[in-house]
Amino acid sequence: MGVPFKQIVVYVDGSESSMTAMMYAIKLAKEHEASLTAVYVINTRALSELVKAGIFVAVERDEYQRDLALDADRYLNHACRLAEQKDVEIETVKLEGTVHVVVKELLKEKGADLLVLGGITDIRSRREELASETDRMMRTAPCPVLVVRDDDDIWYEFEA
Amino acid sequence: MNVLDVLDKDLVKVPLLSSDKHGIIVELVDTLVDARGYSPAQGDQILDAVLARESLGSTGIGNGIAIPHAKSDVIDQVTMVLGISRLPIDFDSPDGEMSRIFFLVLAPTKQASAHVELLASIARSCTSKIFRRLLEQARDSEEVVHLFME
Repeated sequence: MGVPFKQIVVYVDGSESSMTAMMYAIKLAKEHEASLTAVYVINTRALSELVKAGIFVAVERDEYQRDLALDADRYLNHACRLAEQKDVEIETVKLEGTVHVVVKELLKEKGADLLVLGGITDIRSRREELASETDRMMRTAPCPVLVVRDDDDIWYEFEA
Repeated sequence: MNVLDVLDKDLVKVPLLSSDKHGIIVELVDTLVDARGYSPAQGDQILDAVLARESLGSTGIGNGIAIPHAKSDVIDQVTMVLGISRLPIDFDSPDGEMSRIFFLVLAPTKQASAHVELLASIARSCTSKIFRRLLEQARDSEEVVHLFME
């Protein structure tokens, strides 16, 4: 069991809550002198679902795939800047596929002992198809998961 | 992101009153403009974006559902307007079936991930025939929200 944590992975999807989780993970990595990896997943499964369902035409799928790749670069670069502010080394990983599946594979590959997530929402429906990717990651991760609440205090403390 | 993250009673309209595809799209955009206080010019920009996307191919996906959508930087976060029509509307769906359930989805250009996830969530949430029938029969916006929250 990895206590204190040695291999921390944080999931970034561009949402504000994932950025809060990023900040928390950076501080945690610094305190524990742990390796830190930020991962962004281009959700190609969702793109395929949208084409299959007839919601996207082919040209639109290609356009969104490019948009998602740009999003990935933008948010992972931002993660690097945040880590640099705190003198923490960070590795960034851009993956494609079904989010919870490829994140689970990455956690195993890295031998991660902690996954940091933001954006867990309240349970508002019993319907499985309404579970978010973050919910699925939390359920399927092969290591402990730390859920960071989207809290302004974390931003203030990080910037201080 | 999923449907529940963006479902807002003020952005649900039951029933829609228009009787054709163009009218339905305009009514959905107007619902958003009224609820969020956008200017008429902003409303026109949103409408143009949705119609431009629609010109690439119909967003009627079959099973009585249509999901008109577009990227627009008029809005600052991923947004969904849901409308139910009592009248069956010809939305050029591939199965030839008329549509009664309409999801208008809009997203800023820099929120592609959330946009894609929401569209996929809508597609998944409407796979149940029973659920679609309940939605079609919903009396008002509160009942629609309740159906998703069950």
